Amino acid sequence: MTRPGTEETAEALRRSVASQFGRSLHVRTLDTGSCAACEQEIRLLAAPHYDLHRLGFFFTPAPRHADLLMVTGPMIRAFDVAARKTYEAMPGPKLVVATGACALGGVYQPDAFTHGSVGETLPVDVWIPGCPPSPLALLQGLLVAVDRLAEKVRDLAFIQDGDAG
Amino acid sequence: MPLWFLRGLRRGVVTTRYPHRPDAFAAELPTPPAFRPRALTSELADQLAGICPSWALTRSGTELIFDAGACTACGRCREAAPEAVAASGEFELAATELTHLVKRIPLLGGDDS
Repeated sequence: MTRPGTEETAEALRRSVASQFGRSLHVRTLDTGSCAACEQEIRLLAAPHYDLHRLGFFFTPAPRHADLLMVTGPMIRAFDVAARKTYEAMPGPKLVVATGACALGGVYQPDAFTHGSVGETLPVDVWIPGCPPSPLALLQGLLVAVDRLAEKVRDLAFIQDGDAG
Repeated sequence: MPLWFLRGLRRGVVTTRYPHRPDAFAAELPTPPAFRPRALTSELADQLAGICPSWALTRSGTELIFDAGACTACGRCREAAPEAVAASGEFELAATELTHLVKRIPLLGGDDS
């Protein structure tokens, strides 16, 4: 189906995009029906203790100035047009980070009102689990998105130590 | 006033050193469960799947499928079966693919059948 090496090329491209953002990345948050717990934690990132700015991330109120879209909530269907417009208004290259268990397909099942997952509407680059994710988890997610930290969860088994066999 | 704030004032630094090392309170964060396959029977797996409020647990044959992305770390499975479930202590869970978050936990007696 895909040519050999395509995945490597895609990975290299992803890394080059991430390196372009380097140490200056503007974040726009998008609430698609969340309970605002995720927003509380995201707001904490700008507080002195977490101090997002020391890592080169900044919040911006305008999608046209944003490099990264941080989406919370289960993506309610009423928000489809607004979410698409926000995404299209962002200049490329752009990243989408789905934040919180709702955005990742937990909590809400797809029904008449919600898609149940952000991935149904937007192309998501990084998924941050948690309900809500702690500011430290959000920082890790952002750093994974710009390729400054390696993804860790892939190698976790969620099996207790010494009991894997 | 939080203790870290007073401590920070005394030392003159209030900011976390996160990517370098996590804060001490990171150990107290609610984290997704880790399972002990030796104590997980298929009946228990079904019970846990029924308890889970966010559809993070499902049983598929001799495996318990755990979706860490859907988990809200509510601790209900831990309360229901403390002998088989404990907190994993992992909070750095960001993934580049949703499938990286889906874990397969083998159940007791799965190898025999």
